[in-house]
Amino acid sequence: MTNWIIWLLPLPPLLSFFLIILFTNKNRPLSHGIAVGAAGLSWLGSMIVFVRALGTEEFGKHVFGSAINWLPTGTSWLTVGVRIDPLSAAVVFFVAWTVLMIFIYSIGYHNFGQPAGDHDIKGLPPHGATVADDHGHKHSVPSIEPMYARFFAFISLFAFGMYTLVVSDNLLTLFVGWEIMGLCSYLLIGFWYGKKSARDAAVKAFMTTRVGDVFMLLGIAFLYSATGSLSYNVIFDPGVLQTLASRPAFLGLSAAGVIGLLLFIGTIGKSAQWPLHIWLPDAMEGPTPVSAMIHAATMVSAGVYMVIRMFPLLSLDAHTLTFVAFIGSFTALFAATIAVAQNDIKKVLAYSTISQLGFMIAALGTGAYVAAAFHLVTHAFFKALLFLGSGSVIHGMEHGVLHTGEHVDAQDMFNMGGLRRKMPITFWTFLIGGFALSGFPVLTAGFWSKDEIFAEAFGTGHLLVFIVLAIAAFLTAFYTMRQITLTFFGEPRTKAAEHASETPWTMTVPLIVLAVFAVGYGWVGMPGWFTGGLIPNWFHEFVGGTLSQPPETLPFLGVPVATSLFVALGGLLFGWLVYRKVESAEKDFLQIPLLKNKYYFDEVYAFLFVKPAYWISETFSSVFMDRKVIDGFLHSVARFSLFLGNAFRNYFDKPFINGLIGDGTGAAVKASGSGLRKIQAGRIQYYMVVSIAILVIFALLVYFLRA
Amino acid sequence: MSIPLSWYLILAAVLFCIGLYGVLARKNAIAILLGVELMLNAVNINLVAFWRYLDPAQMGGQVFAVIVLAVAAAEVAVGLALIISVYRRRKTLVADEIDLMKW
Amino acid sequence: MEFFTSHLLSFILFFPVLAAVIVLLLPKGNLKVIRWTAFGLSLVPFALTIYLWTQFQAGQPGFQFEDQVNWYTAINSSYHVGVDGLSLTMVLLTTLLTPVALLASFSVSDRLKPYMFLFLLLETGMLGVFLSLDLLVFFVFWEVGLVPMYFLINQWGSEKGEREIWKGVKVQARNYASLKFIIFTMAGSLGLLLAIQMIGVATGSFDLVGLFSNPNWLNSDNLRLVNLLGLPLGTVKAIAFWAFVIAFAIKVPVWPFHTWLPDAHTEAPTAGSMILAGVLLKLGAYGFLRLVLPLFPAESSRYAGWLAFLAVMAIVFGAFSAYGQKDFKRLVAYSSVNHMGFVLLGIAAAARAAGTLDGTIAMNGAILQMFNHGLSAAGMFFLVGVIYERTHTRNLDDFGGLFPLVPIYGGILIFTSMASLGLPGLNGFVSEFLVVRGAFGVGLNVPWQPIIVYTSIAMLGLLFTGAYILKGIKSVLHGPVNEHWAHGEHKLTEINAREIAVMAPLMALILVIGIYPAWILDVINKAVMTVFH
Repeated sequence: MTNWIIWLLPLPPLLSFFLIILFTNKNRPLSHGIAVGAAGLSWLGSMIVFVRALGTEEFGKHVFGSAINWLPTGTSWLTVGVRIDPLSAAVVFFVAWTVLMIFIYSIGYHNFGQPAGDHDIKGLPPHGATVADDHGHKHSVPSIEPMYARFFAFISLFAFGMYTLVVSDNLLTLFVGWEIMGLCSYLLIGFWYGKKSARDAAVKAFMTTRVGDVFMLLGIAFLYSATGSLSYNVIFDPGVLQTLASRPAFLGLSAAGVIGLLLFIGTIGKSAQWPLHIWLPDAMEGPTPVSAMIHAATMVSAGVYMVIRMFPLLSLDAHTLTFVAFIGSFTALFAATIAVAQNDIKKVLAYSTISQLGFMIAALGTGAYVAAAFHLVTHAFFKALLFLGSGSVIHGMEHGVLHTGEHVDAQDMFNMGGLRRKMPITFWTFLIGGFALSGFPVLTAGFWSKDEIFAEAFGTGHLLVFIVLAIAAFLTAFYTMRQITLTFFGEPRTKAAEHASETPWTMTVPLIVLAVFAVGYGWVGMPGWFTGGLIPNWFHEFVGGTLSQPPETLPFLGVPVATSLFVALGGLLFGWLVYRKVESAEKDFLQIPLLKNKYYFDEVYAFLFVKPAYWISETFSSVFMDRKVIDGFLHSVARFSLFLGNAFRNYFDKPFINGLIGDGTGAAVKASGSGLRKIQAGRIQYYMVVSIAILVIFALLVYFLRA
Repeated sequence: MSIPLSWYLILAAVLFCIGLYGVLARKNAIAILLGVELMLNAVNINLVAFWRYLDPAQMGGQVFAVIVLAVAAAEVAVGLALIISVYRRRKTLVADEIDLMKW
Repeated sequence: MEFFTSHLLSFILFFPVLAAVIVLLLPKGNLKVIRWTAFGLSLVPFALTIYLWTQFQAGQPGFQFEDQVNWYTAINSSYHVGVDGLSLTMVLLTTLLTPVALLASFSVSDRLKPYMFLFLLLETGMLGVFLSLDLLVFFVFWEVGLVPMYFLINQWGSEKGEREIWKGVKVQARNYASLKFIIFTMAGSLGLLLAIQMIGVATGSFDLVGLFSNPNWLNSDNLRLVNLLGLPLGTVKAIAFWAFVIAFAIKVPVWPFHTWLPDAHTEAPTAGSMILAGVLLKLGAYGFLRLVLPLFPAESSRYAGWLAFLAVMAIVFGAFSAYGQKDFKRLVAYSSVNHMGFVLLGIAAAARAAGTLDGTIAMNGAILQMFNHGLSAAGMFFLVGVIYERTHTRNLDDFGGLFPLVPIYGGILIFTSMASLGLPGLNGFVSEFLVVRGAFGVGLNVPWQPIIVYTSIAMLGLLFTGAYILKGIKSVLHGPVNEHWAHGEHKLTEINAREIAVMAPLMALILVIGIYPAWILDVINKAVMTVFH
């Protein structure tokens, strides 16, 4: 029964996608009804599965799962199936909630119930509509998204991808979901394909993640070749893992190390880690902020989920773990430094996402399996909250922009200010999300998950990782407070901000629900030392049970807790103090070109990779190689044949065959004929003279010769 | 037997030569035809003379002479008819001018 | 019924000829009758193939539905046809794509009768290659397929366009393309014919079943029959091997023999490109599977590295070249080079390790990739044709922003492009994954390290597959609404019902194979296991 539900989890969104695309795309209420209904069904199924998982004793050893034969390979079959173990149960829990909230939120965000825009065209964001009230006054109001139904189709497919990925019991269907989400992110980032920036961002996102994907595909092929299976059951069997660890591969790494690295590169792409982080900030071109939220809170989590899933394999080779820790901690710090200099409310969150994912990766690199998973879940909740909140802010700002007719960038934080009074629900929920992100002590979920990461890094002796993450956490609190201060505190800096208004209930209700989780979810993972051992660290025991040898709970350590408290509170305070007074972007001391331009990574990549690729494609391979070299060779063969043919014709056929044999015979006959015709005078007497003369000659000859 | 065979032969040869001369030298088609007749008759003289002197028991010589006469008669008939026909169309009897077949 | 079943293959094979003759006898003026007759009759072989599929016993060794008639007793060649799992999938592809292509040709009205006639003749040519079990008959059908395609490109190809072959000398592009196509293939056929003759003279038979059952078909005894130069046995076999390989490599086409393909595809009429990409390219790959690997196992294994190298070059440069194109049809044409490279990569891996699990997986992937590419490439070419018919341009710079104008077309284009890109959940992914997995497995478990390097480099091509597909979508569909095509005489009309009917079976199969490939892969897998044990 449970297995059936798990099989069915991804299906409602898929059906919803096909239904909307094929049948209901003209009908907006029906389309979002189907989509939200499908998300609701999946949510219900997920909750049932989750509750059943909670009710199972020693769930890590008695996971749910079933598999079917999918691909015949020789005499055996490759099986695919579903599996819910503690880790995927935890993930499916947050996926179900966030997905459902996104779906509901999208209805309001895309201005359902508003009139169609005056000049709105498909492929561009709605520009607003003019309506007349009872007194004949004309107002500009937001207009409904022209491609409303299509959006719900795309996010339904997206949800299908995410569910597929989570319930998979093997890497292959995980990869299927992974790539389907890649497609959806491409479609959603490029949703407003009329904008050049959106088109470019969509391609950039797809291509950058695909760099990681091809490595991951190699890793999957390697793993499959080495173990003969892709099912977690088989590959995480201690015996199989042992073989992988002892089998040498390349570059002095074991097979496990190489596979781990290849798979991890997939994560680097999907979870936007350095050096493949460049796509995520640009992905904010999608419909604000829903796709952004998908990209930041859901899909990128898939990358981290995959490495957490593969942790038993990764942990076999110390080199791989070191590499993972390096990439994670470097990204955490690197992205945080960029985030402090961004003015776009979504860009800050985008870089913050990269940075937070770096925290998880770094945690995993230090071996903190549970901490990484815990931060994954809490981060999903509070980052979803923040993105939806920022969308709500932008939506409110756009309302103000339409109302006043003032042309300002509705996403630039320096155009905001004082929004706490205009948008109270958004403000309070955003504040909760921001504090959770900063790790505000005790209350918020972010504190507990981040604290666990610090404790693990410190406790296992990864001091460098610990220090780097601490600095990153300080910056996180700082830029979060900068964002909150600039957006909500102070006085409105533009007319649009003065006339911003709170968003409809379809948008605020998801914010409130997610805010509850952003606070409450931390409590399930409170360490034993805090509760005095009264409540065990539930999350640790639950998720830790996924591994064959559940990790130890760390004892209380003073240094990480102190650090955690200091960086969170210090960062928040510092941010508040600095930005309380800042009135415009010019007065912001952090507007450093190097940071604003994201360390020039786009430019460097354009020079190093994009340009050469263009050159190879447009100049080298099809023009120079095919046209010049290969076709040139063929043409010279053709030319040589032509030359040979002409030579034969001119120097053999013409003079010998034609001249000598063909024409020559004719000419000889003709010449002899015209010579001889002279004797054919037509005069009989002449003939007779000749014949008599010949007769006489012959007679004489006969006569004399006989003699 | 007073006259020897050679005399006949000489007569025939002279006659033949006269005929030949007529055929070769004359331009008038009728004259040419007459020359041909002379030559034929020279042959006839030869035939008869050889028969009489060499083998009188055989009839061959006489028979041949008669055949030649018959042929000559036919020839004259056809030849004169052609000449008259040509003359009617071309108003000439000069052999050189009758050159329609000439290239 | 007994008669019918025992000659089923001959019915499938020669029915198109009969149909072609019927089409010739139709009144010239009534285009509608000609179109529907040709289309309707082409469904008959398809129906017969479906019946064949249901009657086929997968996993049974050897060939089924064999039909043999003495043909040329003096040299011991006979008309001998039969199917196994390899050819059955290809026959299904051919008989499926021909009606689809004929339906796609309903917009042709110029000299329709000869057009349909040639098309149906082409079907017999292609089916003959897949079905024949006699080398000489194989060769005859191999050549038969060329002629109709030559005329289709030469007479019904795009009228515009010139090609400068060398300085100052320009020729009409379709003449150039058709000539290049036929000369290139014929050049390869020369070696093929010689090698076939060598086999025929040496063994005294052209029958493939006999040759397969005798691994030592060329030995020191019969070598002297053909060995005029006194070469050693290995050299003779190697020469014959390469003669086969080059003939088939040209047809596949493998880098660097591929340059006829972009030209021919670009100039061919839409349906011609569909068949060209969908089936004709498969003839080459099928040649590798049916003849090269079974007849020359040792040589295949020895030279597998070269094959893999060429495959990787095709994958990488095919992808790069596709990305560099401005002509939409050329872009799709180069994508065929890229995709067929994966077929050859799988074949190379399997050649090295025939009979192993990894070799079997690679081979499964290669054959499935042939089928999949037939579906997606035919679909892509058709979609290019749909838009070309309306706009009379293929230049990507002239498009952009068409999505709001033609949303259904756009959706279908994205779907088919994604199949071509190898999106998991659609068919292309399954086969590419199997090829990569098989090749990697061969590298790891045989072990044969070079192919790991080649596979890794091939990933670069896979990456750029994404690049050129996205470029196509971006430059055609995305962008601000294209005013030029939005109004007035240039107004772009939406894809019509007939065109959707062309795409529907292709898209359905793309999705079905992507989600549940076992129904076809099982047949392939069992065939591979019996042929390459």
